[in-house]
Amino acid sequence: MVDLLPQWLQDFLGQDVLFWLGYFTNGKHLSWYASVQYTLAAGVLGAVVALALGTLAAAGRNSRFGPARLVGGIYTSVLPGIPDVLFFLFFPLAFEQGMEWLRAQAVCSPMELASGQWPPCTAANLLLGTGEYLILAGVSLGIVYGAFAGNVISGAMNAVPRGQLEAARAFGLSPWQVMTRIHIRQMWVYALPGLSNVWMLLFKSTSLLSLLQISDMVLWADRLGAPNFTRSAGLVHPDWRWGYYLVLLAFYILITFISEKVFAALTRWAGRGMATAGAV
Amino acid sequence: MTMLDAIATDLVLLAKPALFNIYFAIASIPVGFVFAIFMALGKGSSNPLISRLCRGYIYAFRGSPFFIQLFMFYSLALAFNLSVWKPLGIDWIVLNPLILGPAVLALNTTAYTANILHGALMTVPRGEVEAARAFGMSRAQQFRAVIWPNVIRIAWPAYTNEVVFMFHATALVYLTLPVINDQKDLMNKAGELFERDFNAFLHYPIAALYFLAISAAIFFVFGRVYRHLMRHLPKPPAMRFSPRWMR
Amino acid sequence: MNKLVLAAATVLALFATSANAQAIRIATEGAYAPWNFLDDAGKPAGFEIDLGNELCKRAALECSFQVNEWDSIIPNLVAGNYDVIMAGMSITDERKQTIDFTTNYFPPDPSNYMVRTGTQIDFNALSGKNIGVQGGTIQAGYAETTFGGSNTIKAFETADQALADLNAGNVDVVLADGSYISEIVAGSGGAIEVVGPEVMLGNGVGAGVRKADTDLRDKLTSAIDAMKKDGSLDALIIKWFPDKAPGPIFAGG
Repeated sequence: MVDLLPQWLQDFLGQDVLFWLGYFTNGKHLSWYASVQYTLAAGVLGAVVALALGTLAAAGRNSRFGPARLVGGIYTSVLPGIPDVLFFLFFPLAFEQGMEWLRAQAVCSPMELASGQWPPCTAANLLLGTGEYLILAGVSLGIVYGAFAGNVISGAMNAVPRGQLEAARAFGLSPWQVMTRIHIRQMWVYALPGLSNVWMLLFKSTSLLSLLQISDMVLWADRLGAPNFTRSAGLVHPDWRWGYYLVLLAFYILITFISEKVFAALTRWAGRGMATAGAV
Repeated sequence: MTMLDAIATDLVLLAKPALFNIYFAIASIPVGFVFAIFMALGKGSSNPLISRLCRGYIYAFRGSPFFIQLFMFYSLALAFNLSVWKPLGIDWIVLNPLILGPAVLALNTTAYTANILHGALMTVPRGEVEAARAFGMSRAQQFRAVIWPNVIRIAWPAYTNEVVFMFHATALVYLTLPVINDQKDLMNKAGELFERDFNAFLHYPIAALYFLAISAAIFFVFGRVYRHLMRHLPKPPAMRFSPRWMR
Repeated sequence: MNKLVLAAATVLALFATSANAQAIRIATEGAYAPWNFLDDAGKPAGFEIDLGNELCKRAALECSFQVNEWDSIIPNLVAGNYDVIMAGMSITDERKQTIDFTTNYFPPDPSNYMVRTGTQIDFNALSGKNIGVQGGTIQAGYAETTFGGSNTIKAFETADQALADLNAGNVDVVLADGSYISEIVAGSGGAIEVVGPEVMLGNGVGAGVRKADTDLRDKLTSAIDAMKKDGSLDALIIKWFPDKAPGPIFAGG
């Protein structure tokens, strides 16, 4: 990379600066910078799934249909009682094994199925790579934090003043119009602070991706910072890990900062025309 | 082996590892609570330097993942081992996961708890403080007799959630710090059992069951404390068992 | 929820089955130089990567390397995330209960102890010491059974982490493969040295495969045997482990 710089700039910077510039732009470091995409992808996918599941769960909890209320209630109150990391490890494993079990029923012979071996036969094996694990990681984050989002959304639905809904009905709006134009429209103002919180928790959990063998920022930071005493493996250096981790911390704090600004803007936008203390 | 046997075996195997998670929580949460009181007062301090420092601390710890905080503090502690800890003769304390783990947990919960307490401090009824001042109470007396009882009552439900979250965070300690001898916590042990027979549907749910049960126990105890705090009311509000999982 | 799972399953199945069934995926740790490491370009490199590519060429297989953490490298092989492990893994009876190995491509290698230069260790009465190992290795098993009671065994995720703690004085001694340690000592500029007795562990290093994949195992084994015979394996070992020169290591045997 450094070779691309014009000669006069190289002379100006000097050998030391060039050396470090070269070091921080070598393929290993570029891979580290590029791995941000996994973190962002998992965060965004998780947020979408969490919002969808949270809405469903809130609808379930507030519905008149008993079983839906039960499922929504259990989902939103039990799942947050488990550490996110545990579910994060469990779900992709369980999903993969479940799929393989289904496949095994179709492709393996009865004898192999009865053998008690796992997996029963090679044909049932699913080969998962980074892409699939990233999807599973995003979905499992979405499931965990969907339960949180469900609590927030159902709370926000209940926080919309009854009078607003009654007034809308008195105006002759249909139930559907009341739901979409008044209830959900106003719900956002009450839900956004909580959803902002859920998003921050979810995004911080994307630091766990390396546990699913995804070469994310954490894994690369660990690899780059680990001491290297073998000359054939590149620059010989002692333990530099804490410096690399500090960069990761700064990255997450920066994302938190940006998220706060975005959510503040969203809250202002959602609250336009509403007389609440939060929206001016 | 029937399924019930397998479940019973796992429950027994995971009992001792669960103690490590409980230890991490007990060793860190009270310390963090005490620090948090000072941190919350600092955040609300009229001295801009103190206030800024406390705000920065709280922001940094709340804004970054605990997982990476653990990694960083371990490698940072390691970097100062030969120059600082060894000469002082405290390297076996500083770098012991049973000390370092709770220490990082405590730093983390300090930030979250301080934020909760600071929020509660802001909502203490102004009239009560003014009344106390009119009574001629000193600042220490005001804090002890008027401000603190208000703060703890307002903050308690949110703090309960924080404690449960902190207990969940203990699951990360031994995923990052080196494991000494066979001191394995719930996550390590569940992982080890899984690698033996690849039965994800057994070991991880049983570990989850331990986390759920202990979380429920925390809610029960903290709910009792809340009732005690609210005993002056004619009908103490019941703390919702299904919590608002907010941080 | 159900529909979602179903949809995800369909997507996943599509992804998974579209993966080229002929291509062999080899997992390595990428943190055990010079056996396997990530080079400056961020790609796996080292002795086992050279060897793996050569073996695949000889066996007419299409191979690619991927990186997997050491502590889950066997479970993920069994789970089918890849087909072969080449990660400096010693052939042991315990591992053979879960997976199968090719014939060894590195002879049984003594394990060594390394310390910060100047550290005095009495191996006849070792007690109260912090012993660092990489978790899940033959050295970890040996250290636990031999020194477990009166010493503290610290298990690290990677050998590099054990080295970092040794260098920072958090462990007194690290037990690891001699081939790995000799490279560390050579590159440390005198900061690390080898002490104490050599320990013979394991039956050499081989490539791990799933038990069901006997076909793949036999193909790789015959390719390794051919490389042993014509001396190219010896040459490759000496290229990456100059200490082993001049041989012969396998040639003719």
